[in-house]
Amino acid sequence: MQKIISFICIGLVFFALSVGAAEKVLRWNLGTEPPTLDPALAHDTTSLLVIGQIFLGLTDYNPATGEIIGELAKSWQVSPDGLKWTFYLRDDVVWTNGRPVTAYDVEYSMKRMLNPATAATPANLLWVIKGAYAYNTGTGSAEDVGIKALSDYVVEFELDHPVGFFAALATRVVVPVPREAVEKYGDKWTEPGNIICNGPFMLAEWVHDDHLVLVKNPKYYDANSVHLDKVYCYMVIEASTALAMYEAGELDVLRDPPTAQMDRIKTDPVLSKELHSSPRLGTYFFGFNCTKPPFDNPLVRKAFAAAIDRQALVDYILKGGQKPALTFISPGVPGYVGDEGIGIPYDPEMARKYLADAGYPNGQGFPEVTLMFNTSELHRAVAEFAQQCWQKVLNVKVNLANQEWKVYLQTLQQDAPQIFRLGWMASYPDGYDYLKRNFDSRTPENYARYRNPEFDEAVDMLERITNPEERMQWFRKAETLLCQVDCALIPLYYYTMVELTKPYVIRDYYATINDVPNFKDWDLLSH
Amino acid sequence: MWSYIIRRFLLTIPVIFVVSSVTFLLMHAIPGGPFSEEKALPPEIIKNLEKKYHLDDPLWKQYIDYMWGFMRFDFGPSITYKTRTVNDILAQQWPPTAILGSISFFFAILVGVVLGVISAVHANTLIDYGCMTVAVIGVSMPNIVIGPLLIWIFALNLKWLPVARWGTPAHVVLPALTLSAPYIARFARFTRAAILEVLNEEYVRTARAKGLSERLTIIRHVLRNALIPVITVAGPAFAGIITGSMVVEQIFAIPGIGKYYVTSVNNRDYPVIMTFTLIFAFCIIMMNLLVDILYAIIDPRIRYT
Repeated sequence: MQKIISFICIGLVFFALSVGAAEKVLRWNLGTEPPTLDPALAHDTTSLLVIGQIFLGLTDYNPATGEIIGELAKSWQVSPDGLKWTFYLRDDVVWTNGRPVTAYDVEYSMKRMLNPATAATPANLLWVIKGAYAYNTGTGSAEDVGIKALSDYVVEFELDHPVGFFAALATRVVVPVPREAVEKYGDKWTEPGNIICNGPFMLAEWVHDDHLVLVKNPKYYDANSVHLDKVYCYMVIEASTALAMYEAGELDVLRDPPTAQMDRIKTDPVLSKELHSSPRLGTYFFGFNCTKPPFDNPLVRKAFAAAIDRQALVDYILKGGQKPALTFISPGVPGYVGDEGIGIPYDPEMARKYLADAGYPNGQGFPEVTLMFNTSELHRAVAEFAQQCWQKVLNVKVNLANQEWKVYLQTLQQDAPQIFRLGWMASYPDGYDYLKRNFDSRTPENYARYRNPEFDEAVDMLERITNPEERMQWFRKAETLLCQVDCALIPLYYYTMVELTKPYVIRDYYATINDVPNFKDWDLLSH
Repeated sequence: MWSYIIRRFLLTIPVIFVVSSVTFLLMHAIPGGPFSEEKALPPEIIKNLEKKYHLDDPLWKQYIDYMWGFMRFDFGPSITYKTRTVNDILAQQWPPTAILGSISFFFAILVGVVLGVISAVHANTLIDYGCMTVAVIGVSMPNIVIGPLLIWIFALNLKWLPVARWGTPAHVVLPALTLSAPYIARFARFTRAAILEVLNEEYVRTARAKGLSERLTIIRHVLRNALIPVITVAGPAFAGIITGSMVVEQIFAIPGIGKYYVTSVNNRDYPVIMTFTLIFAFCIIMMNLLVDILYAIIDPRIRYT
């Protein structure tokens, strides 16, 4: 009797294993628990990664070509004055409860996002719409907002002023949510069982702070092209533990292996073959507080910029194959002008000349200055490298200081130090985001306190003009002012994504907005 | 005795209030708030967020609202995790911390006391030196070293146990070992010292003279008196295991409240910080009370008035 039972059990186990082996399950590490899966509330990369698999946007960024393509929208047109944008939606997209996704969903979701009670975090990207700012800050009403569903599959946006890249904005923020779930379940509408999706995957299981499971959505309009059956997302914070799981075969992909282990990984016969660096849409830079002496003198800023050997930084400190940066906007983002000779390259002779012209020949009389960064081993290593460069080339002493991230942000807001370390990742696929949010004199987050009316004018032009060639001219002008003439910052390198991937995973390595991988294009070989 | 216990319970209330006020003030004194993120949010958006979570109320009102909710066991929403209230988080995540904590605690006591007894009984022999060396190693290595080391040995090389996470009894082994290691050491040393002291007492010599076996002498006469210093260590050990769990849960990716506590401070998730601090404080207070009661039970000379 016992023997029969054991045979049956063994048989069941094999059966389960074989069924399991037929399913394509990707095991991914999210790192942390996603704070939310509501597109209106999400602004961190973990939440956006999951949202990107289960919800569709009006438009999308094609990472292979860098173009904006339609997702929910088939096509769109702009009125001659640039104020009315009309989007024509696909008619074959449905929610997982069977109901079609319509223009009314778009109107409802955008007005919900602008409702001040929702306290939506990406809402500022919608302020270009007529009446949106007033509604969002509590002085207007929903009826006056320029978003209207003209019919089931046509939605019209009326803007406050012409915005040439509105379709690029829409990739990030126009992501409709299912009204019936939100109204029925309130804050808990994103829990499994309550949530209704429309993307290539849907949320099947979510054990908070432990794991979540995405399964292929059979109702997705292009379900036949999706190969993966399941994506199992762990939430392991500790990078070294995640690496141990990857090596033990419990994870299929590992993003950002711990820096301390990179040397070992690169010399390991197995791991070195599975390691890959790919570009990301972001730039790491040192900003100057242009109001604080001695950095109120552009010659001093240029001297400091010309003294940094970026290639050596990448080769010896970063070791991730990053691309050195001379301009601010990253490659892959419309507006990138980095290969055109703009910017201040490494040139120790010129650096010394700039400093001498500024009145500090060979660093004599140069005051002690401070470079600040937020606490992290990596930032410390980069800061120490820069400190050495400045000492060696310019003969000046730079002190280093670091603060915990949130404290650091507050310091930057209130009184930025002379030199500060920062990074910028593209919020949506257009370089306007980089320039406006960081160096426009009217933006509060312009910690560098950079004020140049010509630069502001270029930024305004970039917002309004639609013609791509004309825009590139303005991008060139803006970057030349920012990185070369005025040198308000030292761009250091463009971020890369370092990943370990098992050989049986078929995937792409395109740079995407917010590093959201397109799992719908991935596949798994049997292993 | 009962009036003592009731008095101690009542004293807990002012202590909790003091802990809550200090935590609240410290929390709001640290620069940065829950909404200063990777990318600075525009001030209008922050205003909407602060309104939603009542962070624009005056501080005294926020404190009273929180404490009023706390007394009715309504701990508020999590500011970072938009779908969950603090009650949800606690309800879902206290089991792993409680299980890991209790297993580690009792394991530390058991192994520690046994090691201590063996060392004491074989004092100044190789066995004694061996046990004490192990104890010293346990107390000197921080758990951020012990944890990954155990993972490397047992999970990656021997492949006997899973690397991390939670769910099966196998998942408990490495984190429990990591968490209990420093306390095994402490219990061992204290037990050894206490037993050695008691072994020289008159009544032990009398028991031996009466013909009682060594084993029975130790168990019936020596151990009970030697336990008093051990119980003294148990109080801080419990506190240490609670705080140690924060690191261990992070290393082993265990979905408990320790791991959550650390991230909540980084995120400035005020309701979570307040609630967890108060709960941990309460646990430690209760544990200390239990220790005091145990003293009275074990040593009849100790009486409270």
